[in-house]
Amino acid sequence: MKRVPKPVFFIVALLILLFTYAATFGIKAKNGDNTVTYIKGLNDIRWGIDINGGVEATFTPVTSAKATNKQMDSAESIIKQRLIGENITDYEVYTDYNHDRIIVRFPWKNDEKNFDPQSAIEELAATAQVTFREGKEYTTETTGSDGNPVYKTPKGTTASKIVLQGSDIQSAGPQMTTDQTTGKSTYVVSLQLSENGTKKFADATQRLQNQYISIWMDDVMISAPQVQDVITDGKCQIDGGSTGFTAAEASSLANKINAGALPFKLTITDSNTISPTLGKSSLNAMALAGIIAFVLVGLFMLIVFRLPGLIAIISLLGQMALSFAAVSGFFPFINSFTLTLPGIAGIILSIGMGVDANIITATRIKEELWAGKTLDMAISKGDENSFSAIFDGNITVIIVALILMLVFGPTNILSMIFGASTTGSIYSFGYTLLIGIIGNFLFGVVTTRLMTKAVSGFRFARNKWLYGGAAE
Amino acid sequence: MRTFHIRFYENRKIYFSISIGIMLIGLIFNMIFGTQLDIQFKGGAVIKYAYTGEIKAAVVEQTVESAVKRNVSVVINSDVKSASTSGTKNNVTLSFAGTDSLSLANQKAVQKALSTSYPNAKFSLVSSDSVNPSMGQSFFAKCLVAVLIAFLLLDIYIAFRFRKIGGTAAGLFAIVALLHDVAMVYFTFIIFRIPLNDNFIAVVLTILGYSLNDTIVIYDRIRENRRLLGAKVEYGTLVDNSINVTLTRSLYTAGCTFASIAVVFIVGSVYNLSSVTTFALPMMVGIVTGCYSSICIAGPLYVMWENHKLKVAVAAHSAKAKEELPKAPAPSPAPKPSNAAPSEPAAQKTANKPSAAAPKPAPRRSKSSKKSRSSKKKR
Repeated sequence: MKRVPKPVFFIVALLILLFTYAATFGIKAKNGDNTVTYIKGLNDIRWGIDINGGVEATFTPVTSAKATNKQMDSAESIIKQRLIGENITDYEVYTDYNHDRIIVRFPWKNDEKNFDPQSAIEELAATAQVTFREGKEYTTETTGSDGNPVYKTPKGTTASKIVLQGSDIQSAGPQMTTDQTTGKSTYVVSLQLSENGTKKFADATQRLQNQYISIWMDDVMISAPQVQDVITDGKCQIDGGSTGFTAAEASSLANKINAGALPFKLTITDSNTISPTLGKSSLNAMALAGIIAFVLVGLFMLIVFRLPGLIAIISLLGQMALSFAAVSGFFPFINSFTLTLPGIAGIILSIGMGVDANIITATRIKEELWAGKTLDMAISKGDENSFSAIFDGNITVIIVALILMLVFGPTNILSMIFGASTTGSIYSFGYTLLIGIIGNFLFGVVTTRLMTKAVSGFRFARNKWLYGGAAE
Repeated sequence: MRTFHIRFYENRKIYFSISIGIMLIGLIFNMIFGTQLDIQFKGGAVIKYAYTGEIKAAVVEQTVESAVKRNVSVVINSDVKSASTSGTKNNVTLSFAGTDSLSLANQKAVQKALSTSYPNAKFSLVSSDSVNPSMGQSFFAKCLVAVLIAFLLLDIYIAFRFRKIGGTAAGLFAIVALLHDVAMVYFTFIIFRIPLNDNFIAVVLTILGYSLNDTIVIYDRIRENRRLLGAKVEYGTLVDNSINVTLTRSLYTAGCTFASIAVVFIVGSVYNLSSVTTFALPMMVGIVTGCYSSICIAGPLYVMWENHKLKVAVAAHSAKAKEELPKAPAPSPAPKPSNAAPSEPAAQKTANKPSAAAPKPAPRRSKSSKKSRSSKKKR
């Protein structure tokens, strides 16, 4: 047997422990108030919506004819714009042109207190008819939930004379304005009118000097500014009346107005929501399960295999750390990966499967010792004989894990037939299973052997009993 | 060092009956209860709310039905532990009849109606699922195709890998073992009345990979032992020996994997996480059956096949010998040729292999048997 220098054991073990530490906690530094993350740890893992809570919904246009690709694209971009408007950046949107579906998935925001996913989904698909009308005559006045009066249903000239319609508006966006005198910031919705709209608006503002033009959203009057100038550049703003808009109100209104440009109405065919509290409970439960499973398997290895068992535990730590690292974005060349509950189950499953390589090698060493080989002979024989079995044991699971990823991934080999779907939570399972198996190869074979050979150089570790042989 | 001496081949009938028995039970359950598909696959709607205080299922049912005009079944889980906060929670799950999705407006109407009937219960949404039947069906089809692809790829791997170990027959038995495991996982879902969902696909695929590797390890040992023990050793003994030698490792690995996933199941049950338990329970069954099928099904089947081949070869041999005898009176002439005809090619096939009836030179055999004896002594 080629001797491995004794210190190698400590070097390898130390490296694994360091790697485990870094992959678990990450490496961060405080730079003033900012925490700079050099290496990502467990806390930086992107959780799937089954853990973080979140929403998944499928939108389909309500049209008798098939929507064109261009229409689907514009619907997709509107949905994306609204998501950004809601300050949701961690979204996934898939458009399936063949089946006219847009699938949206986004996690719940961490700071969100009110869990109202149904409204969130509805808002994404909502359309609203914006009209600019002459005068400000209304039928009913009620008091809204915020204490301000709500004016509903236009009447008289306001009902009959429409200045601008939704189709005259090219785009709408929220904008912050600061009052020059008071310094108070309020939000407005600024509009860019179309060519036709610009002309109509210029005529109307010319004609209605010092009169009112009211702005209606569906049946509700949201604002009624007095015309002061002739507006010819096609730009105008809607302010929120006396109280002004909040940032959220302004962006919500802008989104609704933009939706007027949607080529069709969107309906929600599928929806799936999970509350963050349920997800948090699941995560903690799975973490607990993972720790218990690790301890159980570790104890088993230690009792059955003694010294190789101890080495197996160190290797298993490394394997776990690799799994963490592969999902958290620890390595710059591997993107972080959304981890779901089945994904965590995959990691825990690979704790059990992961000791396979160690079990095969340690059992072989034990067999050779009982067959009367010397310790060195037994270790090198055990290594030789076990490799093909380890390889066999893993290759089939690798095939399966790859299929899981290929089939349940965001764009996959079956997308052409069955259309795009969101990354099912199973995708994550395939990934962690795959990483677990690779880790098993890497740590269960390479580092375990290095450590076993190195440690057998120590005088105290010469006793065959430590390797499962007869006591000397 | 302890080694197992279990006579797997002799006990094969027990194992076969166990497997067939479980499958029969599964089939009976299947016929009585049918196959339930999760709404993921067939479409439909399920909503889960958390609430405080006491509510009555019948009242909830009536309220919801009158709100959305759709039949609903109500399940109440009270005092559910949470792993993130102390104290317990009450959950109520509404499963809507039919395969149609439930519009968001109706979902809101449900919550509103419930809050009106129980103003103090503070219903809050835990999760909601509403799937359109056509989406569900296409997802289901996709999942089935995934399983087929996996099965095909594994077959290709088996064909490639088993050329060395036991030929086509061994490969076929490996596939039988795989089908056995898929059936067991399926019947687990049926017997425990878990609707088939994407977890089912994940478990089936994982078990396919897991079970196959066990079978390969055993067949690999059979090949190795054939070289070691010589050709004259009976197939039953050879296979039993090979299984017993690999049994330690199989049991240890399966045990560790089983323990890990069992922990997940137990913790999941404590916190009533159905998405976790419906994954972990079939996986536990799959790991046990994956290990079991390789040892108790694939191994004995292989022996039966090889013994059958031997018998046919011997029969063909003796038939030939009888035909060569000049004074054969031929009391039953009809069955003989029909017996001999199909066995001829088989006899030729087996004769090509060193393992079959062809006798081996003696010295090599005695040497190898001595070797095995000496290694036994040391144990």
